[in-house]
Amino acid sequence: MFRSCLKGASGLVLCALLAAPSLAEGPIKIGVPVGLSGANSVVAPSVVQSAELAVEEINKAGGVLGRPLALEVADDASGAAGAQKAFDSLIFQKKVDALISMETSAARNAGLALVQRGKTPFIYTSFYEGRSCNPYLYVNAWVPEQQVPPIVDHFMKTNNAKSFFLIGSDYAFGRGMLQFTRAYIEKNGGKVVGEEYLPMDGSDWTSILSKLRASGADALITSTAGGAPNVTLTKQLRAAGITLPYGNLAVDEGTAKSMGADAEGIFISASYVTSIDTPANKKFLADMKAKFGDQLKTPNDLSVPEYEGVYAYKAAIEKAKSTKADDVIKALAEVSVDGPRGTIQMNKERHAPLTMYLGQVQADGSVKVIQAFKDVDPGDQCPNLK
Amino acid sequence: MTITLDIVTTAALLFVVATGLLVIFGVLKIINFAHGAFLTIGAYGALATTAFNLNPWLSFPLAFVIGAAVGLLVERLVVRPLYDRPLDAILATWGLGIVISQFITLGFGREIQFARSPLSGTISVLGETYSAYRLVALAITVAVGIGFAVLIEGTRLGLSARAVIMNEDLARGLGIDTYRVRRMTFVVGCGLAALAGALITPLSSVDPNMGVPWLINAFMLVMVAGSSFVSLALAALILGGAQVVVSSYFSPILGGMTIVLLSAVVLRLRPAGFGRG
Repeated sequence: MFRSCLKGASGLVLCALLAAPSLAEGPIKIGVPVGLSGANSVVAPSVVQSAELAVEEINKAGGVLGRPLALEVADDASGAAGAQKAFDSLIFQKKVDALISMETSAARNAGLALVQRGKTPFIYTSFYEGRSCNPYLYVNAWVPEQQVPPIVDHFMKTNNAKSFFLIGSDYAFGRGMLQFTRAYIEKNGGKVVGEEYLPMDGSDWTSILSKLRASGADALITSTAGGAPNVTLTKQLRAAGITLPYGNLAVDEGTAKSMGADAEGIFISASYVTSIDTPANKKFLADMKAKFGDQLKTPNDLSVPEYEGVYAYKAAIEKAKSTKADDVIKALAEVSVDGPRGTIQMNKERHAPLTMYLGQVQADGSVKVIQAFKDVDPGDQCPNLK
Repeated sequence: MTITLDIVTTAALLFVVATGLLVIFGVLKIINFAHGAFLTIGAYGALATTAFNLNPWLSFPLAFVIGAAVGLLVERLVVRPLYDRPLDAILATWGLGIVISQFITLGFGREIQFARSPLSGTISVLGETYSAYRLVALAITVAVGIGFAVLIEGTRLGLSARAVIMNEDLARGLGIDTYRVRRMTFVVGCGLAALAGALITPLSSVDPNMGVPWLINAFMLVMVAGSSFVSLALAALILGGAQVVVSSYFSPILGGMTIVLLSAVVLRLRPAGFGRG
């Protein structure tokens, strides 16, 4: 009995050894750590859908250097602790070749330590507060230098706003964005009459809204974590009857749609809106609808860069003719992607010039574009990174 | 004026969340650590009401019924075998809370979701506009409080419950079916927790672990309140008021710690808390 088992086992081992050479290549693994739970959970499904469509399209066209792409999705719970676990499992257990994802700044900052240790290329597809620099990091979404000026300028010129109230989530993104906003407002002659923060997972804005009312501000600008805090703040804002001009630096079209009537009137500044009138965007939207049907989550400024990020990675591998981290890192600055947001190249100190749209959310959840700003420069994000 | 309304409505929400826990603590002498999970059950009940396009006002009675039903099941399977072992019962309810939130995650997904508010808009109160829903929640809480007072003082069950709270062995000796009193109390306590969950949902969001921060605050309030509703209402008003004041004048982050810190201070100074001692 034992001897026949041994024979069977050695037979299996032989087969495995013979098959081994063809298994060595395998798919190119892309890790997607994203907030499936927590604050970002409202947006995360749309991000995963974008990644899935990109991977499907690329694999149908023959893959990259003859190998298919495979996605590994992990939940980072929208925070640092979860990101620690997600990045660890993706980089060291699943041994992904690259990370392409959108996450909160808290999660990104925690994950970068692991990215550095694992030497894994990381394409960050979320807008954020800027100045995050790492030899393995590339960003294809906007930074405050690109996003804030249109909203503040509009309020100052069109609404004659002189005093502003700022509300944010208490972490790198909320504080970083509002720090930039305050500097920009003050540089342009305005005044900031209040600046209040709640923890990222906080949902009780009662006292902050009371302070807003008492401040007599002309306009409100908010920068909470993407997803849930936007909804709770807007819900409570409207329930309290506040109708000030409201610029939201961190809401995407998908979240705005889920807010229903409460979102009407919010001003946003984004690098993507579904109403962008280009053939590339129309094709993208049609393909998303065809793949996901009525499970489709509205493509938005947090999910479309994910789609383009996957294509950027593909282009970089093809240019470098290898999946080795150092080769890909070098190539990512040299390749450009033609996607729903136009032609994007991450060649400005690891960041990308982007076309920005100032828009206002309508009653049906769609965004009406008021003005477009072509190829806005991200400014000096990582001057010390070579 | 606004801050007064903030204090009163926040205190009302804390009161309604803590009531279910107090009721179970008073009669069964155990802390139901699954209280947060029942809160979550009520919240998801409100979510389901929105999903099925029913009248959002139905979510409150529906949540109470669902919470009570689950409470009945839980009492039979988890709590009753542990009547003689209150410490083990506490541990068991904590584990139960974890199991319930995992079931909710399996059924509804772990992402944050939102339920529709039954009422939107503001009401003008003494010159200030204030959120209509918060005022309605205040009214519902007052109604619950009065309903409870009537139940405790005016019904047979209430009389039996008071006897059990005072001295269970003596009550049993007098012929009161204490096991039935315990069962009814547990069921009502869970139903109340679910109702509170449905009440807080329109103000924020729903996710499988939303009950935990409320459980901690409710636990503190119950510890400080002793076993009467009046002292619970007083505790909710004072501690809740402190939380609102600290959040408004200092920072919401410090405000979140206020209830826990103040409870510790109160119990240190007066071990009976707000109760009669």
